[in-house]
Formats: sequence, structure tokens, C-alpha cells
Amino acid sequence: MYPDSRPYDWLLLLAVLGLSLGGLFHLYTISFVHQSYYFFRQIAWVGIGLGLLVLFSYLRISLWEKVAHLFYLAIFITLLLVLFRGEGAHGAQRWFRLGTFSFQPSEFAKLSLIIVLAKLLAAKDNIGWRQIGLSFCFTFPFLILVALQPDLGSALILLPLWLGMLFLAGVSPRKLLTILGIGASSFPFFYLLLRPYQKMRILTFLNPGRDPLGTGWAVLQSKVALGSGKLVGKGIGGALHTQLSFLPQPFTDFVFASIGEEWGFVGTGIFIGLYFVIITRGMKIARQSTNGFTRLVSGGLIILLFFQVFITVGMTIGIMPVTGMPLPLVSYGGSSIIMFFLGMGLLLSMKRFGE
Amino acid sequence: MVPVRGKRKRFETRIKILWVVIVCSFLILLARIAWLQLIEGERYLRISKNSRLQLLPLPCTRGLILDRNGKKLTHNEASFSVGVIPSNVSNPDHLLDRLAIILKLDKKAILERIRRAPNPFKPVVLKKNVGMSTVTFLLEREEEFPGVVIIAQPVRTYLYGGLASHLLGHLGEVNQAELALSSGYGIELGDLVGKMGVEKVCNRYLQGEKGGKQIEVDAHGRALRTISEKDPVPGHSLYLTIDLRMQEIAEKELGERKGVVLIGDPYTGGIFALVSYPGFDPNLFSWGISESEWNRLRDEPLHPLENRATRGEYPLGSAIKVITASAALEEGIISKEDTFFCGGNFTIGNRVFKGWKEEGHGEINLEEAIIHSCNVYFYQLGLRLGVKRIIRYASLFGLGKPTGIDLGSEKPGFLPTRDWKKKHKGEAWYGGDTVNLSIGQGYILVTPVQMLKVISVIANGGYLIRPYLIKKIVSPRGDLIKEFQPPKMERVPLSSATLNFLRRSLRGVVREGTGWRAESKTVEISGKTGTAELSEGEKPHNWFIGYASSTHLRLAIVVLVENREEDIQIAPQIAGKIFSQIFEKNVP
Repeated sequence: MYPDSRPYDWLLLLAVLGLSLGGLFHLYTISFVHQSYYFFRQIAWVGIGLGLLVLFSYLRISLWEKVAHLFYLAIFITLLLVLFRGEGAHGAQRWFRLGTFSFQPSEFAKLSLIIVLAKLLAAKDNIGWRQIGLSFCFTFPFLILVALQPDLGSALILLPLWLGMLFLAGVSPRKLLTILGIGASSFPFFYLLLRPYQKMRILTFLNPGRDPLGTGWAVLQSKVALGSGKLVGKGIGGALHTQLSFLPQPFTDFVFASIGEEWGFVGTGIFIGLYFVIITRGMKIARQSTNGFTRLVSGGLIILLFFQVFITVGMTIGIMPVTGMPLPLVSYGGSSIIMFFLGMGLLLSMKRFGE
Repeated sequence: MVPVRGKRKRFETRIKILWVVIVCSFLILLARIAWLQLIEGERYLRISKNSRLQLLPLPCTRGLILDRNGKKLTHNEASFSVGVIPSNVSNPDHLLDRLAIILKLDKKAILERIRRAPNPFKPVVLKKNVGMSTVTFLLEREEEFPGVVIIAQPVRTYLYGGLASHLLGHLGEVNQAELALSSGYGIELGDLVGKMGVEKVCNRYLQGEKGGKQIEVDAHGRALRTISEKDPVPGHSLYLTIDLRMQEIAEKELGERKGVVLIGDPYTGGIFALVSYPGFDPNLFSWGISESEWNRLRDEPLHPLENRATRGEYPLGSAIKVITASAALEEGIISKEDTFFCGGNFTIGNRVFKGWKEEGHGEINLEEAIIHSCNVYFYQLGLRLGVKRIIRYASLFGLGKPTGIDLGSEKPGFLPTRDWKKKHKGEAWYGGDTVNLSIGQGYILVTPVQMLKVISVIANGGYLIRPYLIKKIVSPRGDLIKEFQPPKMERVPLSSATLNFLRRSLRGVVREGTGWRAESKTVEISGKTGTAELSEGEKPHNWFIGYASSTHLRLAIVVLVENREEDIQIAPQIAGKIFSQIFEKNVP
């Protein structure tokens, strides 16, 4: 290999494996025989993800700096194509079919955005309005294309990701506040562009009593499922609330609630703990890095992981609106699994090469 | 080196801040999870174990439909449905055995419906409109029927039965396409939505918003407490331009004749009455129409569901002479004094076209030709005008295209041209075709509502109205949501001399001509008759288009009697009777 390579960050790797294999095991225990389809596909994805993780951990991180724009362009084109030719589910166009697997470019848009923003923001020592404007020009097209699919959750997470990266890149607090001010004042305008069901979800979040039959019902079921797990959970096969399909989408959006029902506070605590391990290890890698680009990529990955965990977990316990995003490394779904494995591979390669 | 180190230091600070934010956020998550699982866990476990949650939709009442004076045309009546909440049924077999007898239902079908229920906490409706005695029976023995719920639901009732059925429309179960269109408006499978008429056009306003209730119940299905609740919001009320009294008079006078009566304001386009016979009783649909009843209505040879006023396309007969005469005067083809000779029939090539009066009208001028509806005069006039000009004027009067009436799904009628005939019939346009066209026979087709537009042009001094039915939409609290104003009207390029001449002639038609049966003692009526001959053996359609006014009421009318049974000009007679009654009481 490379003479200057250092060993793996084993703790980080263990946490990633713990989450994905734990998620896989959980999926196995809550599926019935006729649902084994999901389980076997998820095995394939986790396998592919692990392979890619190892592969990418051996690639120099500087390679990504070189292909940042190319990667961005490729994702941009696929996002455009998926709008016109993609396959729909629940009235939205988010997927591409590749053989029997479908592929959701909006997941990879997140990774591509982190890389391209890191390259842009690391290039200059002092970040002025020009860089901020440019970084917005990279973020905005993705935001619009993903929102048009329409996948509002995945689109909106790009905004805190962008802001977070500006923050880590050292943009002055005054500028950050100005951006937030502009954002807040343009919110009513964007609200008008939302589809009726998206408005409903926001209104339901603000006032859960508004829609007791629709989204409000899902959140109530989610709280019942999670809460009823108590300290140690109902154990394998005992998660009746989940299995009798009172809980909507127990494999994807509401997977955390089904974890809570089956494994109790012990289980939910461990899952949250593992995410916390990944985040602290990632931060350590970021702090040890001497290279601006790697610092920002690792910082961006941490922010993305954090927001997505906070939103998906928060949604199942009724403190965040229902957005329909996967829980990183755990929820059923190939694109999300592979994207996060790739991201973790990048973190590991930074550690190995210590650039 | 220094700025780089400075940057790295700043990064250090920022990442520490981020770390604090993340730690705090995770603590919030953990605290909330701990609260749900450790503190509230027991309660949630109980809920989950017993699954004693119910989801009760609270139906909303549909907005009312009222006439222009605020008289109610519809109403909402309470009806009871019996439903079952699948999650609360412990012994479905036993329960359904008994229910099937009481409700006279097929047990297998019920089982299938319960098994397919998308949400086991939501009632599956087994039977709608259950009689009061059955409801009391079930309520008294609540304990014996665990999981059974009685749902009170407002049902749309049309106070006057089949009156104005085509314009009011009817309700029906929402279909997949409508469901996709109205996503986010709270409409679900099984809901009733407007399927026709203003019920359909204004469904969005009339619908209202359903409410709902999440309740926790005990093992016997008794409510313990409400977890959350949303009140239903009733729909908006709809004020029509229709005048209930005029509508009733029009329906009564048309009687059981297949046809149409339209009464409108020639100055604004507001419609006072719209009758299309035969009609149907929209109440049948609100209470859930049976398949046999629906098939009967659909397959009925007289098509009672079809709104003839906007969707019936007919030849217009001599009523076209109003347009032919306008064209001739405006184009300077003839003067009012010029005469043609009518010998009772007219020969072109080897075809003989008959007039309706065998001995002929002799030498007559345009006014007399209109009054006596002389075909032979108009054959000759039509040949001089040519098909192109006749069609151009017909189009200027609004024929050949939808009028834009706010009922939707309107038919455009048809205006033939030389090119069309060549293309579709593979034949040239002959003189005989023009002769036919000039008395409104042949290929031309119009809808009654288009004719309302035509006659209004003469009545209002040259303006093209857009007929409309929806006056305003008012919220249940009385706030004005939307008010519809007649749009700015286009002018038909007719000189006032031509218009005055036509009015004098149309008055003559009723005073001493073919429309004499419309003459009334109460009001001065003007108009034009039309008799559209059909193929051999079919009785002709009879038209009357006209208008009348008093000091505070100005009305235009279209009467069409399809395949008239009486061998007289029945349409003008009906119009005369309607106008006499309306103007007699002199109520605007």
C-alpha cells in the first residue's frame, strides 16, 4: 500500500458496522416471511456499501477535490433526467431504474454538494460575499431540482448543510446572520410554492390536532409504538404495533419507532450512542487534519449525518415535522445506505492518509 | 503561514461550537425518548396492547345552493350509517352473523370489506341510510355488538326533487382521477363529490372540510377520552342567478315535452331558468343510487342525464333568419324595400325546395319574409349572400363555439364550410346546400344556450353575452368569498338601423306572423320561430327565441321542443305562457 498510510479508525468503523448490521437484524426481526424481499435486498445494499467503504478508504481524499466539479455536473444531469424520465412512487419522481435496483440521485446530491462546497470554501482564506454567492449557486439548483420531484425533506436538508459548511469554513457571524435574515424573510414566498399536502404537513406539525386522520395519526401511532417499548422493549417478535402495520412505513421513515418498540430505551439509546460515536470520531478526524478541503468534507459529513438523524428521530417522537427521510445507515433503501457508506469511507481515508 | 494557522484555529473554535450544539440536540432527543418510553411507556403499552384507539371522521355539511333571492334549493338531512371498527371486533364471525340478518347484508361481502380495510381503527361503513328503528335497536344493545358504530351523516337533499336537476347536478362517489386532482383537500375514497352541474363546478367551495377525532375506548367500545379532535368546517354557500319562481313556471309550461327552456337577462347573461326535459331526481344519487337505477337512467333512450341546454346540438330551422337577415343588410346585398317573389317553391338545378305555404307569399320584402318566415325569399337571399358570409355572421353571433357558460362540458355546435364538406363528405358545396343553410337546415347545428346568446344580441342592442349561473359564493359565516360579474361584452358589428329593423320585424312575428301563439296580453313579446325538419318520419323540432321587457324586468327566452307532438307552433305558445305569468305578477 502506501508507506504513509496509518491504520483505520477502528472505533468509527465499528460504530458504522454496529448501526448497519443492527438495522439489518432489526429489519429481519420485524419482517414477516412474505416481506423477506426487503431483508435480502437490504443485505445486498449493506454488502455493496461495505465494499465501497473499504475501496474508498484506500483512495486518497485529494482525488475527490480534483473531480468535485465533474461529480457535481453528473449529479446535476441525473437530477434533471429523473424529473422527466424517472419512476414515480406516491406521486413523486425520485428514482432511476438500473436492472432490478432503483437509484435515487437526490441522496448522492448531498455528498456531491459537500465535496464541491468544501473545494470552493477551502480555496480562499477569507470568505467574502463572492464565495458565499458562489456556494449558493451550487446549492440552489440541487434544492430546486430535488424539491420539484417533489421531495421536500431531501431538498430542505441541503439548506442547513450549506449554512453549516459556511459556518465551519469561518464565515463571520455578521454575514451568517444576514443570510439567516434574508432566508427568514423569503420564507412566506416559498410557502406559496408548496404543494397542498406539503403545506398540510407543516401546518399539522405546528398544530398536531389539525389533521388527526392523516399525518397526525401516523405520528400518534409512532409515539405509541416507540413508547410502548418501555425500558427493554417487547423483544423479537413482540413488536405487535409495528408488525400489525398500525405503524406506517416501519422499514423506512418510521424505522426508529419500530426499534423503540422492539428494543426499548436500551435499543434506542444504543442507536443514538452509535451515531454519537461516529460524530465525535469524525470531529476528531476533522480537527487533526491540516488540509482545508478535508476538514470541510469531514465537517460537512458530520453535519449531514447529524441533521438527518435529528430530523428522522425527531419526527418519530413528534418534535419534528413528518418529512419522509431515511434514518442514516439503518432505514431500508439502497441509495441512502450506499451514500452514507461512501461518506464514511471518505472519513476513514482522511484518517488513513492524515492529510 | 499565519493566515492558514488562523483559519485552522477558527475551524477549531467553530467545530467546538458545533459539538456543543450536537451534544445538546442529542440530549434533547434522548430526554424526549426517555419521556415517551420510561415515563409514558406504561400508558402507550396499554394503548398498544389493547389497541383500543378509534379514529372517527366527523363529516362536514356541504354548502347550500340558493337561488338569486336566497331561496334554498338544497338542504342537508341527517342520515345514519352502520359501521364496524375492525380493531374492536373480537369475534367477527359471530358478530357478522347477527349483523347480516339485521342489516340484510351478504356476510361474505362484509368480511371481505373488513379484511381489506386500510386502517383498522377507522370504521368500515356497512350500510348507509339505516332506518331509525334499526339504529335504536343497535344502540340499545350496544354491549352485544362490540365494535359496531352508528355514524350520523348529513345527506344532500334537493328540496324540489327534479327541479333544475341538470344545472344543480348530483353527487357521486369520488373516482381515482378526481382523487388525484384534489389531493390535499381532504377527500378520500368513498366520499361523495359533485359529478355534474354546479355541484361539480363548485365542488371545491361546497365540499367543506372533514373533521376527525382520535379517541381511546375501553373493551366495550365506550369512549374513555379524546386524544385529539378537529372540528369539521361546513362548505360555502352558492348563490345562483336562477330565479326559483321563473324556473318553476318554465318547468310547468314545458311540461312533459322533450326539450329545453332557457330564460336569461339579455344584458348581463345571468340565467334565470334552465330547464332540460326529461330530467332526473338528484336525491337518488345522494342516498347512494343502486346499480339498477343508475343503469336505467344511463340507458334510457331519452337520455335524462344529458343537459340538452348546453349539450344538445340541433338544426335551428328558421331561427337562423335573424342572422341571414342581419348579414344581408350589413353587407348591402339588399335594401329593406327590395322584394323577391315567392311562388310556394323554389327550383335550383333539378331540385325543388318547398316553402311552407303552398300557394306562396307573392312579392314580399324582408320584413314580411321574416314575419311570415318565408323560405322561398330566404332561399334567394341565401344564394346571393353565399355560404361564406352566412357562416361568418353565424360565427359573429357566437355560433360554432362554446358560449363559456359556467357549467363546463358544453358542446360547441357546428358551422359547415365549403372546405369541411369537401374534406369530410368528398363532395363540393352545392347551391342546394346554401339554400338549406339559409333556412337553418342541413349540416348546421346549434345548442339552445347559443341561441340565448343570439337572441340577446338583438334584445340588448348588439352585445354578445356570456351566459352564467353562479352569482356569488358566501362562507357559512356570511363573508363574501367570490362574486361573479359579467365580463366586458364584445359587440357584434351591426348598425343600429339593422338592429331597429330586426326588432320591428321580430315584434311583427309575434303580432301577426308565425309566432302569434306567443302573443300575450300582459307584455309585448318579440321573437322568431323555427321549425327544424328532420329525416322522413321524424317529427320536427320547434324553436322559439324571443324577448320581452317591462320597466324593471328584461328577459330573453329560448324554447325548444324536440320532435313536437302537437301539429302547431308549440314553442312560441309555451314562451308566451311563461312570459305572461312572469310579467303578470311583475315581481323582478
